[in-house]
Amino acid sequence: MSRQTTLASRTQQAQPAPEAEYGPPPGVLVLRLGRVGALPIRHRSLTVWLLITAAVLGASAVTLTIGDLGISLTQLPSLLTGGGEATDRFVLSRLRGPRLLVGVGVGAALGVAGALFQAVTRNPLGSPDVIGLGAGAGAGASVAALIAPGAVPVPLGALLGAGIAIGLVTLSTGTGLRHPGRIIVAGIGVSAMAQAFTHFVVAFIARDEATSLATYLNGSLTARDWGHAGIIWGALLFCLPVLLYLAGPVRLGEMGDETSQTLGAPARTTRTVAVLMSVLLSAAAVSVAGPISFVALTAPQIARRMAGAGGPSLVLSAAVGALLIVCADLVVQRVPLGEGLPVGIVTMALGGIYLGHLLIREWRKGTL
Amino acid sequence: MATQTTAATGPDRRTRPGGVRVALMFGLAAAALAGAAVLSLVMGSRITTPADVIGALTGTGEEFTTTVVESRYPRTVLGIMAGASLALAGTLMQGITRNPLADPGLLGVNAGAAAAVVTVTAVAGPTTVTGTVWAALPGAVLAGAAAYTVGTRGGDGGMVRLILAGAVISAVLTAYVQAIALSLPDSFDSYRYWVVGSLAGRSFDVFWAALPVVGAGLVLALCVMGGLNAMALGREAAVSLGVSTAWVQGGGLVAATLLAAGATAAVGPIAFVGLAVPHVVRAMVGVDFRLQVPFALLVGPTLLLLSDVVGRTLLRPTELMVGVVTAFVGAPVLLYAIRRMRSTA
Repeated sequence: MSRQTTLASRTQQAQPAPEAEYGPPPGVLVLRLGRVGALPIRHRSLTVWLLITAAVLGASAVTLTIGDLGISLTQLPSLLTGGGEATDRFVLSRLRGPRLLVGVGVGAALGVAGALFQAVTRNPLGSPDVIGLGAGAGAGASVAALIAPGAVPVPLGALLGAGIAIGLVTLSTGTGLRHPGRIIVAGIGVSAMAQAFTHFVVAFIARDEATSLATYLNGSLTARDWGHAGIIWGALLFCLPVLLYLAGPVRLGEMGDETSQTLGAPARTTRTVAVLMSVLLSAAAVSVAGPISFVALTAPQIARRMAGAGGPSLVLSAAVGALLIVCADLVVQRVPLGEGLPVGIVTMALGGIYLGHLLIREWRKGTL
Repeated sequence: MATQTTAATGPDRRTRPGGVRVALMFGLAAAALAGAAVLSLVMGSRITTPADVIGALTGTGEEFTTTVVESRYPRTVLGIMAGASLALAGTLMQGITRNPLADPGLLGVNAGAAAAVVTVTAVAGPTTVTGTVWAALPGAVLAGAAAYTVGTRGGDGGMVRLILAGAVISAVLTAYVQAIALSLPDSFDSYRYWVVGSLAGRSFDVFWAALPVVGAGLVLALCVMGGLNAMALGREAAVSLGVSTAWVQGGGLVAATLLAAGATAAVGPIAFVGLAVPHVVRAMVGVDFRLQVPFALLVGPTLLLLSDVVGRTLLRPTELMVGVVTAFVGAPVLLYAIRRMRSTA
């Protein structure tokens, strides 16, 4: 008797109102756009996103303010509206402003690209670099530097190289971009070829050219202008509608092909479009900053851990990517030992630390 | 029932070719290696004839051609050693990790060698090619040993930890290498010439330097060769067959590291020999490691020497480094292999 009542009261507690049966689970906010679409946002994700965005803004403010040519924070608002001193305006609009914007854009693009790629390949160590994008870009840049330094812009060469590498991978799988396993194996082959070629060119050309090429090959944000910022932010805006549409199907895809198909998300199409978007965003990032390594790999994983949720979060991953790049760039600009190095070296070291963290987790698993 | 029997004997017959066929193939592989070695002595920016080679070997040839041919001795010997080491290391790695894409570079050997090269030139200034090798050798061995120690710490952790440890060491050391190389022009120079992978410009000193490391690896590899067959059936099966899995796995990995370290230090990182040769060998003789190992020792050097010959003749009188050639030969083969695996997803 008493057991029955507790059971009944429990049921009542779980479903206080009949409408809640169809409503979102607790802790989730739903953004609705009429009947067209709805975007569920978890409270924790939102909080984490706000925190990371605040951190990006903070790191950006530090980037702009410290150093000999630093702009004081109090002057920033007036500078942004067009006033302020000429020196400060020059620093903001020519030196640090574009570099910062490119960094944030590249980080966001790499974060999203990595999140998409890892979600559809179900491989936490995957990133577009695995399938030869970075190596292809390097080879393209080397060709540009080898044929005529200055005649062909190196970023254009990198973009072409990345395109050719991805094209080769797509062709050689025989099934397009549908089977992640094949893409990765083909990527190994294409990367090896591209890398061998790059090494050859670096050994072949004169030392000065080789040094500047090697700097670019690590991924660098030195001397970026508004044109670069336009490219990366243009690519992000261009991809935004597709990404909004893709977020749902990608999340469903994590449950396996059959489940996702049953719930109305065609698994193969989702995967192809997701890989395509991932490649597009990384190619845009490569063309403005060179192949920056490990951000696409680590950002989605950090985002996932912070959100505490199973699914991939594109928005969060973009924020983490931006934070990683802005902080890494701050290191190469201001930390004595790292000064003048390309930003990609710092992200590579960060990647090593992340892999080390994974290793320690494996140890814990083993001893428990 | 009948279909089951054919299904069982079909692949079995394919993976265990008869004794005559194996002997024949062994003879062919040995002949191919001998041919590649002769080509390596004959071809180059000045093409000599086989007669010149014989004259040089017997000491009766013309003085000039003898000098030309003699200048090709070290690179031929080095090519044989490096090719055999890399192929054997790849066979061991793929057998132990049971991952057909495993590569000798997995344990961070390449990054370790590169880190040592840039460190030595950063501290002691520019060095010769032989100096680079002396620097790279301990670096490669240490990096491999570190990855192995870290990756197998705390007992039996399987392959995931080992590969992660290799990746950690590679990432951290590569960041270090790039940072040093881009800050110090001399280090950058020795790094960029070493990292392409080449047999050129090396004397017999390089060979003698790498030989003890490679030799130790070879002996160890021959010791664990038989146990690998049982390991291929899975850990439980191997244990129940009375094989010490820890010894086979540990010994095999140490052997692979030593072999890869010696070869990489001597000639630089060379892509695809360690990855591709085991596949070629498996297609020839099946999965028995007691056959795979000797065939790998013949096919590896053949591939490397032929690649070197192609690199020497393609852009005469300049040379294309052998590391570039192997990548451009190996990668298309890999891509072709992917196209062929239609049935699997």
